[in-house]
Amino acid sequence: MKQNTIICRCEEITEKEIIKVIEQGYHSLDEIKRLLRCGMGHCQGRSCTMIIARILSQKTGQPMSKIKITTSRPPLKPISIKVLSEYKSHEE
Amino acid sequence: MKNNTADVIVIGAGIIGAATGYYLAKKKLKVYVLEKEFPCFGSTGRCIGGIRQQYTHPLSINVMKESVKIFSSLNKEFGKDIEWFPGGYLFLAHSEEQKNTYLSTIQIQHKFNLPVRFISADECNNIVNGINTEGLLGGAYCPTDGQANPFAVTYGYLQRIKELNGKVFTNSNVSKIKTSGNKAKSVITNCGEYFAPVVINATGSWAKHVSKMVGLDVPIEPERHESLVTEACERLFDPMLVDYRSDGCYFIQNYGTGHFIGCYTPVPNNPGYDRRASSEFITEMPRRMSRLVPRLKELKVIRQWAGSYEMTPDGNPIVDKTPVEGFYISAGMCGHGFMFGPALGKYMSELVTTGKTSLPLDDFALNRSFGKAEAMK
Ligand SMILES: Cc1cc2nc3c(=O)[nH]c(=O)nc-3n(C[C@H](O)[C@H](O)[C@H](O)COP(=O)(O)OP(=O)(O)OC[C@H]3O[C@@H](n4cnc5c(N)ncnc54)[C@H](O)[C@@H]3O)c2cc1C
Ligand code: FES
Repeated sequence: MKQNTIICRCEEITEKEIIKVIEQGYHSLDEIKRLLRCGMGHCQGRSCTMIIARILSQKTGQPMSKIKITTSRPPLKPISIKVLSEYKSHEE
Repeated sequence: MKNNTADVIVIGAGIIGAATGYYLAKKKLKVYVLEKEFPCFGSTGRCIGGIRQQYTHPLSINVMKESVKIFSSLNKEFGKDIEWFPGGYLFLAHSEEQKNTYLSTIQIQHKFNLPVRFISADECNNIVNGINTEGLLGGAYCPTDGQANPFAVTYGYLQRIKELNGKVFTNSNVSKIKTSGNKAKSVITNCGEYFAPVVINATGSWAKHVSKMVGLDVPIEPERHESLVTEACERLFDPMLVDYRSDGCYFIQNYGTGHFIGCYTPVPNNPGYDRRASSEFITEMPRRMSRLVPRLKELKVIRQWAGSYEMTPDGNPIVDKTPVEGFYISAGMCGHGFMFGPALGKYMSELVTTGKTSLPLDDFALNRSFGKAEAMK
C-alpha cells in the first residue's frame, strides 16, 4: 500500500497519518480513533477499523489477537431524525 | 531524580488532569499524569465541546471569562488547531417566566461585561435560520461563547507536558495513596509505585473513590447523560442552542466536522456509573431537536453514547487543597468540566506553587456549605 492511501474513507484519513500517530507512541485503537477521528465517520468504522488494527499490529509487533477493538455504538446503520422521531415503541 | 519520582502526580488524564498538569509543568515542575485507561476515557471523551460564560454564579462567570481567553490562545500555544470557534450560545425562552429569568440573569452577567443580549424570536431566526418560532419569545444570546474539540485540547495539553519533561502513563490504575505524617508521599498503581510530595485528584466522576484512599469523603456522584451525533452537513448555524424546558435539549453543529451533536438532561436524573446508551434517548432526542429546528429532519443519526456528569450538591466544582498536606482535588465539574478545565488548571497550578490563587476560589472550596445552587446548570 502507498502511504497516502486513504484508510478511513468516511473521514479521509491516510495510512501516513495513522502511521505518524503510532510512531508518536499511541498504540491503541481507542487513542488513534480519538486523535484522528478514523472510525467515527458515517460507517462508524465498519470499513476501516480492522485495517487500522492490522497497521497497528504490523508497526508495533502486537499480535492482532491482543489489539482491543473499539466499542461499536448504536445505531447499527445511520437513521434519519425524521424516522427516529416518529418511532413509537410497542409499549406505548 | 529517579524515574519513579516526580514533583507532582496528577491522577486522571481527562481535561482537568491534562490542563492542571500542563500549567504545573510550565512552572518547571516535573509532572507525572497517571491514567487508568487512556486519555479522554472518562467524561472528557464523551462531552460535546460547548464553552459558555453565561452563568449566574460570579465565580463561574469569572472562571469562564478566563477559560475563553485561554481557549482562544491554545492554537498558538500548541501549534495545532483545537477547533475553537466563538459561535455563541443561545438560550431559548418559550414562556414569560423563562424570559424573565434570562432578563434577570443578563443583569448579573452585564456586571461582568459579558456581551449577552435578550434577542427577539425574529433575531433568533436570523442567527439560526429555520428555527421553529412558534411559541418562541426570544433568547439570551452571548456571541463570545463557543466550542472546541475536547480530544484536541486534552491531547494538546498532554503533548506539551511530555515536551516539558513530564510523563503520561496510560493503563495505570491508582489503587492506593500512601501518606507519611499526614503528607502525601506516593501512589501505587498496577504498574508500580510513583513518588511525589504533591498528588492531585483529577478523576472526575471517580473522585470520591480516589479521595477515600487518603480517608477523605467528597460529595461527588456520577449521573448518566446521553448524547448523539448526526452525519455531517454544510454549515447551518453557529451557536449552541439550549432549550431548558423539562422536555428540552441542547445541541450544536461541530465546527471542525459539520456533525450535529447534542444531549438532554433526563428528568428524573439517572444516578450511577451505568454508561449504556438507551433506546429511549435515541428516539426522544431526535423529536426534541427537530421540534426546535424542523429542517434537521433529513439528517441521519450515526452514533449515540453515554457518559457521566460528576455532580456535587450545589452544581459547582470542588477545587481545593485538602486536610492531607500535598493532596489536592479538582473534580466534580457537574457537566461543565471541559469549559472550566483550562482556567481551573491554571488556578490549581497557582494554588500548588504559591498556596493561593489570583482569582479566589472560596466558593469551590471543599468545606463549603453547598447551599447556593447554580441557576443555569
Ligand atoms: C454527554 C455529555 C456532554 C457534555 N457536554 C459538555 C460540554 O458541552 N461542555 C463542557 O464543558 N462539559 C461537558 N460535559 C462535562 C465534561 O465532559 C466533564 O465535566 C469533564 O470532562 C470532566 O473532566 P475531568 O477531567 O474532571 O474527568 P474525566 O474526563 O472523567 O477524567 C477523569 C479520568 O480519571 C481516570 N481515573 C479515574 N479513576 C482513576 C484511578 N483510580 N487511577 C487512574 N486514573 C483514574 C479516568 O479513567 C478518566 O480518564 C459533558 C459530559 C457528558 C457526559
Ligand atoms: S471508513 Fe472509517 S469511519 Fe467509515
